[in-house]
Amino acid sequence: MEGMWTKIVWGPLRQLGEQALASVSSLLGMLVLVLLGLVVGWLAKQVVYGVLRALRFDRLCDRLGVGMVVERSGLARSCSYLAGEIVRGLIVLTALLAGLNALGTPLTRNLVEKTFLYLPHFLAAVLILIVGVLVSRFLGRSVLIAAVNENLRPARLLAGLTRFFVMVVTVVAALDELGIGRTTIIVTFAITFGGLVTAAAIAFGLGARDLARDLLVSQFHPKPHVDAKDTMRHV
Amino acid sequence: MAEAILAEQIEETVEGLGPLELVVGIPSYNNVATIGRVIKTAQAGLASYFGNRKALIVNSDGDSNDGTPEAVEKVHTDSDMLLRVRYPLEPVHHLTTPYHGLPGKGSALRTLFQTAKAGQARALVVVDPDVTSVTPEWFKSLLEPILSLDFDFVAPYYQRHKYDGTMTNSVVYPLTRALYGRRIRQPIGGEFGISGRLASHFLKDQVWNSDVARYGIDIWMTTTAVASNFKVCQTHLGAKIHEAEEQELDLSAVLVQVVGSVFNLMETHDLAWRNVLGSLPVPLLGSPLGGEPEPASINFQHTLASFQQGVRDLLPVYERVFSPKEIRDLQSCAAAPPDQFSLEDELWVSLIYDLALAYHRRVMDREHLLKSLAPLYLGWVASFARQTESGSDALAERRIERLCLVYEQFKPYLISQWPQASREKR
Repeated sequence: MEGMWTKIVWGPLRQLGEQALASVSSLLGMLVLVLLGLVVGWLAKQVVYGVLRALRFDRLCDRLGVGMVVERSGLARSCSYLAGEIVRGLIVLTALLAGLNALGTPLTRNLVEKTFLYLPHFLAAVLILIVGVLVSRFLGRSVLIAAVNENLRPARLLAGLTRFFVMVVTVVAALDELGIGRTTIIVTFAITFGGLVTAAAIAFGLGARDLARDLLVSQFHPKPHVDAKDTMRHV
Repeated sequence: MAEAILAEQIEETVEGLGPLELVVGIPSYNNVATIGRVIKTAQAGLASYFGNRKALIVNSDGDSNDGTPEAVEKVHTDSDMLLRVRYPLEPVHHLTTPYHGLPGKGSALRTLFQTAKAGQARALVVVDPDVTSVTPEWFKSLLEPILSLDFDFVAPYYQRHKYDGTMTNSVVYPLTRALYGRRIRQPIGGEFGISGRLASHFLKDQVWNSDVARYGIDIWMTTTAVASNFKVCQTHLGAKIHEAEEQELDLSAVLVQVVGSVFNLMETHDLAWRNVLGSLPVPLLGSPLGGEPEPASINFQHTLASFQQGVRDLLPVYERVFSPKEIRDLQSCAAAPPDQFSLEDELWVSLIYDLALAYHRRVMDREHLLKSLAPLYLGWVASFARQTESGSDALAERRIERLCLVYEQFKPYLISQWPQASREKR
């Protein structure tokens, strides 16, 4: 009778207790890991921020044009601060994933595994966005200065369009890297881009026929150069 | 026709000729129309004024394909010594057309300096290959100060129209003068004379494979001579007339080459200029050689419109370089009616100094910075044209003198803003 009591009642209860204890210890382990992550993340952020400031990282970013983007977007007060925040975020995220892994359930293990597999794509997408912002700003400024120096009236429009197209290509590439709506995005982009080019070509052909003709004639049958501006010599 | 020697063979060839006293250097690249006349004039100049001195005429050519070597050979007589050197023209020299029209001019001049050194020449004179107003007197004027008065660098002093050399007048001359404290009126003239020791000094420099050698070798020579305390003077050459240029070079490209070279040299020689305040005159020798300068004109409406568009559209660029006050002043300038338009010297000088500082601090891509100067420069040109429209060349010269004084007056600002780390790096 006593053996049956132990087998039917105490056994499962002991097992439940052991399981509960294991869960609590896993939970505590997770909490410790997350807390540790928060503390280490905060410390790492302070170190990265301080070192980058000492190395004048913000000035470098300002030169590259990233500083202004960060400031205007409201992401952070400076690039050094943003870099510190990114490091902190990565450490906290790692600690959180390690904590979830410590729970040892199939669900959390699966989640952790998927997150780690996805992380490289996420980082690649961030890198694509950063490079895209830099390239769009550089090309936009190149077009703006060249257009102003050629006395083209829509200089700002041309520069804006350059930046816009580079950013569109960048966002499409980043989303493609993340695997978000890959086919839809590519098709949408192709249709939009193709449509814009066609519309611009039609508008130019119909609305500015004379200008188009003059441009083509000057391109393929250039007239002898006549300097109608002035005859000053610069050097 | 005798083959041109290579740059590597200079030493051996020239030493075989025995010690020289004078070398006349003429760099060339596709100058078939004018080079014969320049060499003949050099021969006449040497015969008239230096008949008893051993001289060598050297043509340093960059692989011309228009018959220039044949034209040089055609004027070669037995009574003179003429050497043809082929200087190395690399693919990089063809990437951008230099404002002076001579791809690889640095390499061409280097071969001439090597020739002077190998021949132990006391003096070297260099003349542009496309100048049509050259006279035998030019050679006397450029060589005599070195031979008789022991000068090391003889800069040309041309008679120029008031609208000829606007970039020289607005930036290069006043800035070089304010920086190094010497008043060399034509710091980027194509003609010059140098002593043998200065040629050897130039050869020791590391500049030869840089952009400064490719696009700014003339201002480099002037600056190096002054910053290294060589004895400099100027000499009257009269009017300088070039063969008509076939194609107009893009203004922004000229700015990148010319102003970029001056700014580059500011970094190289910051120790030489940071303690200099004011300026000293540089001896001007000889008397004007006559000849009417080529007339030039400025289209006021066009230059003003370029300035106005620049101030309006390039604001995002200017905001990163200039102070809010300078931006406000530029905007009120651009908004003024054309008949009252004036870009004050004080504003212009502060813009140039701030641009030099932004260039040094690499606030943005350096080519962008320099190209964004084009509309502002045209604004200065428009303002200068309006102020001197009905005046003589002498009046225009007085305006330039006033501008130079403002450059000198504002120099403490430049010194105070020049980064300390850079100033103490050497």
